[in-house]
Amino acid sequence: MKEILNFTVNGDPVSVAVEPNRMLLDVLREQLELTGAKEGCGMGECGACTVIVNGRNVNSCIMPALEAEGAEIVTVEGLLGEDGRLSTLQQAFIDKGGVQCGFCTPGMVLSAKALLDENPNPTEDEVRRGLAGNICRCTGYTQIVDAVLTAAKKGQEG
Amino acid sequence: MRELDYVGKPLPKTDAREKVTGRAVYMNELKKPGMLYGKIKYSDQVHARIVHIDTSAAERLPGVKAVLTGENVPEVRIGFMKDNTPLKKGKVRQYRDEVAAVAAIDPDIAAEAIELIKVEYEPLPAVFDPIEAMREGAPLVHETDPKGAPLTSNKLKLPWKLVCGDVDQGRSEAKHVVEDQFKVTWVSHCCLGVSGCLAEFDLDNNLTMHSITQIPFLAQNDFNAALAAMGLKGKNTRIINTVIGGGFGSKLDTHVYEFIAILLAFKTKRPVKMMFNREEEFLAQAPRQPAIVDIAQGCDEEGRLTFRDIKMVLDNGAYTSWGATTPSVMMVPISSLYRVPNVRYKATCVYTNNVYSQAMRGYGNPQATFAIESMTDMLAEAAGIDPLDFRLINSNRPGEITPQRFKITTCGLRDCLESVADKLDWRYKKKYKQKSRGVGLGSLIHVGGGARVYKSDGHGIIMKIDDFGKVTVITGAVEIGQGSETVLAQVTAEILGVPPEDVSIVKGDTSICPWDVGSHASRQAFVSGNAAIGAGNKLKSQIFELAGPMLETDPADLDMKDRLVFVKSAPEKNMPLEKVLRKAHFSSQGKVLAAEHFYDPPNEMLDREFKGNLSCSYAYGTTGVEVEVDEETGQVEILRYIAAHDVGRALNPMLLKGQIYGAAVMGTGYALTEQLVLKNGRIVNGNFLDYKILTALDKVPVEPIIVEPDDEAGPYGAKGVGEPGCVPSAPAIANAIYDAVGVRIKDLPITPEKVLRAIKEKRGEM
Amino acid sequence: MNNYIYLRPATLEEALELLERHGADAVPVAGGTDVFVKAKRRKVAPKVIVSLRRLGDLRYIRAEEGRVLVGGLTTLRDLEQSGIVADRLPALADATRNMASVQIRNVATMSGNIANAAPSADTAPPLLVSGAEVRLISKRGERTVPMVDFYAGSGKTVLERGELIREFVIPVGRSPYSQAYWKHSRRKAMDLAMVSVAVHLELEDDMETCRLIRIAHGVAAPTPIRTPEAEAQLVGKKIDAETLKDLGETSCGETLCRDSLRGQAWYRQEIIKVMVRRMALLALERARAKTGQR
Repeated sequence: MKEILNFTVNGDPVSVAVEPNRMLLDVLREQLELTGAKEGCGMGECGACTVIVNGRNVNSCIMPALEAEGAEIVTVEGLLGEDGRLSTLQQAFIDKGGVQCGFCTPGMVLSAKALLDENPNPTEDEVRRGLAGNICRCTGYTQIVDAVLTAAKKGQEG
Repeated sequence: MRELDYVGKPLPKTDAREKVTGRAVYMNELKKPGMLYGKIKYSDQVHARIVHIDTSAAERLPGVKAVLTGENVPEVRIGFMKDNTPLKKGKVRQYRDEVAAVAAIDPDIAAEAIELIKVEYEPLPAVFDPIEAMREGAPLVHETDPKGAPLTSNKLKLPWKLVCGDVDQGRSEAKHVVEDQFKVTWVSHCCLGVSGCLAEFDLDNNLTMHSITQIPFLAQNDFNAALAAMGLKGKNTRIINTVIGGGFGSKLDTHVYEFIAILLAFKTKRPVKMMFNREEEFLAQAPRQPAIVDIAQGCDEEGRLTFRDIKMVLDNGAYTSWGATTPSVMMVPISSLYRVPNVRYKATCVYTNNVYSQAMRGYGNPQATFAIESMTDMLAEAAGIDPLDFRLINSNRPGEITPQRFKITTCGLRDCLESVADKLDWRYKKKYKQKSRGVGLGSLIHVGGGARVYKSDGHGIIMKIDDFGKVTVITGAVEIGQGSETVLAQVTAEILGVPPEDVSIVKGDTSICPWDVGSHASRQAFVSGNAAIGAGNKLKSQIFELAGPMLETDPADLDMKDRLVFVKSAPEKNMPLEKVLRKAHFSSQGKVLAAEHFYDPPNEMLDREFKGNLSCSYAYGTTGVEVEVDEETGQVEILRYIAAHDVGRALNPMLLKGQIYGAAVMGTGYALTEQLVLKNGRIVNGNFLDYKILTALDKVPVEPIIVEPDDEAGPYGAKGVGEPGCVPSAPAIANAIYDAVGVRIKDLPITPEKVLRAIKEKRGEM
Repeated sequence: MNNYIYLRPATLEEALELLERHGADAVPVAGGTDVFVKAKRRKVAPKVIVSLRRLGDLRYIRAEEGRVLVGGLTTLRDLEQSGIVADRLPALADATRNMASVQIRNVATMSGNIANAAPSADTAPPLLVSGAEVRLISKRGERTVPMVDFYAGSGKTVLERGELIREFVIPVGRSPYSQAYWKHSRRKAMDLAMVSVAVHLELEDDMETCRLIRIAHGVAAPTPIRTPEAEAQLVGKKIDAETLKDLGETSCGETLCRDSLRGQAWYRQEIIKVMVRRMALLALERARAKTGQR
């Protein structure tokens, strides 16, 4: 039987009816049409579904939707500024070649955001640790790591 | 090299913005009104007769709109040898065999319906080892050929044999000869975007296939053939690509699930979407071709190669996709990596009850190069020559014609070898060797200017320019993440003298876009770049014809740059491009400013002996690695990874490096961690936990070196680079491990267990 | 995946009540990173899920005299980022830092890691070598079980129906001491231990004689285990190359390694021999470094 679920996503309050066995990813993609989060494996093993829940990055494919009750959720769609401008981090992914096929990108960007929110000036090793749960088959990670370090530097400069 | 305005610049990918904002629409996001969800029932037997399939419970389930089996669909033969069908009839030959399929109103109902289908099997003896499969009396995977003629052997009738010079003579001239066996196994593409398609028929029974194919026009051909087999001869397929979540060769064939979606859509008269999950992706997306390689190689006193003799057995699996044709590309390094006058190569493909294989980045080249380049070090050691010197002695040179009749134009191999050695401090490291540390090299040759593996190696472009100077390029190229679209925009901008932001690319629709053979063979930037130059020149001529009278100049004395048309001999005489363009429309008897160009490179189809100039330019490269081996655990740490690539010219250094970084990590995975494990035909590690793609924390410290000999065949001098990076990784790493601890691992992946066992065996401890 | 009733109690009492009421049908779930994966793979089909995520009161890491208390709903990420854990329970810090991914560690709990009874549970060997106790609670009351008695065989624990892990009570070593943990895996992240080794070492004041050592392994037997013979063997001895080599050999002799998809028995044994030595050495170095600081 469906239950009513209330939470905020990218600052907007939402209310949806969900079956208890639905994961947050299903609700975001199918009911809220926030399709930036991807299903790469459905088992928490690739990170393509990463979203930020109450400040922490999680695999939305194995997070029961009902656990989002009252939560503040940020998806990749929420990173755009009000003027439609990309975040520093998104721009760095573009400028440094951190995007190829792009399927891992939204999750990767959100893991990077969660990392930088917590640790604004990470070392390369800390970036690699922070992104280790996001599998990328195209880039070999080098340019992604470079993008995150560049964004961190830009963030430090204000 | 001439400095250019846009080519050679590290411009960001044209599609990066939509991807980084989550707006890109992949197959996963695609929906159509009235759409049904398809799902496939796979065999749970590896080799068995199908006695009976009971679909009645599935058919009764509310929401199910169609249930198909091999018994109630028209026979559609698919695959390179036409030995496969979408739904199996009579028997199953591998675990992934598709025995039934459903279409339902939602994915949960489809999944439930699949569970309700009951299949009764009668198990048959199976064969999993290709050597055993060749023996007399081995269970036959196929009792008949596609036309019904009886078969008596599991060996495929494929002609893979290359003979150049006289190998026996070469062997007798050799002072040093080494022989050994190498094995490479299945690895999976693991595109982050799983496979899927959406098939829909219009009211006239024409098919629109929303697809992630890398080969839209060949897929159109395959699907049209399927339509004919379904009684729809003369009907057409329109392929429309969504954004594609990775390719690496996995979308170079048309796949069983696509044909099933077509059958379901035709049956239900509704759009049918078929979307894999990761489990299905591992199960039913064919991996890289495995091989058993017997190789002998010899050199004379001075270290010059005198012969190379290779025999291979390829486990073909139960059906035939492109994996069985990888010997055609394996021949490239076998005949032409280094100067070797006498070459013999024979490959036998054998049916087994394992999974079948397909194309994957490098198309056989990484497999063959692992054996050849491991063997190069072994031969160098036998001859007492440093592995670097040995490679320099035998390095290919510009202007040579190789035994397979490849005409080498530019050749950066020597530069690659020397620059890698220099950066790696090779001489010093060899002289003052540190315990447990070692350095290793691996080189490569690959086609760099397309490859004529099909009747045409061509690429069509339509280029039009509007009243405001905005350019539209309509291309048959498929962007799979590699960035060919961006490079195409750069080349177009360069040739037309407009900024790249004025260029937009229209792609991914066979009804709109001109023909292209596909995104394969590292050819896309090369062919579409050359096509854009051709179209751009034609378009410029049209513009200059208009501008000539306006500027009172001979059109031949005009050029364009920075959105201006100007007189070459007097650049101060100029006119805004827009003004000229509007003239085309705002005059009586106006004209459309558009040009088409079909570029088909001067590549030769290999002849019956598999000889000919397959590509008009060849890409070279050398990878040098330094490793540290933990002699107590067998674990290998890559300390340095230097990848030099002869790319002709870098069209976009940032995207080029992206290809090198990505390929290096994929190649390192191939070398060290990746393996699709099959137990009696069943994949037992089909998930991202047990199939070990490297993570960001498993750092491969790749240092690219770009070698630019500027090849005249290429667009602004470029060669292809998409595949080469993953070709020499495994032998370079294997050679470095040997240098570090004196053990040679001859089968991939080089796991710590294998390394430790070899170390212990060497010490007599095991 | 099957459907189920999903309950989200706000208090421990409520949770225990619900578990009691739904009996055998109820599956208590903390982070869910294991249960939902198994459910999606159709390996389990829970009927009633009792989510524990709202029990914020059970999420804490507290330092007390001679021990650290970790609440049953504490996440792996909490442990990884805790100064208390880094300082007093270095093996647990080593273990949590290298588990799965940040995303998983942000929701997965130590309770879940232990209660799953997987032989590869990374937090089990550190808890074993620390001599931890597990405080369990159910509607029927509370009890305390030493970690060494927590596993009841392959895939089994002593947890009874309706019972939850309320808290871990983890004694801190007697200084000078330290610990180390090694997870042997093919990748550096997103991987399970092929085999693992935890060492807790306490030294005499001479800083070279072993006063006490505890050694534990994951994936070396059907459950995480201690190797008491090896532990007894080193006590009172000077820690040097010779005694450490023997230590690894003896410890290895007490294991029951098996061949599996993820690793071969002989290789697991080799790693144990090597890593017991290296982890003991690392613990020794850490203990000395820490004493040097003070």
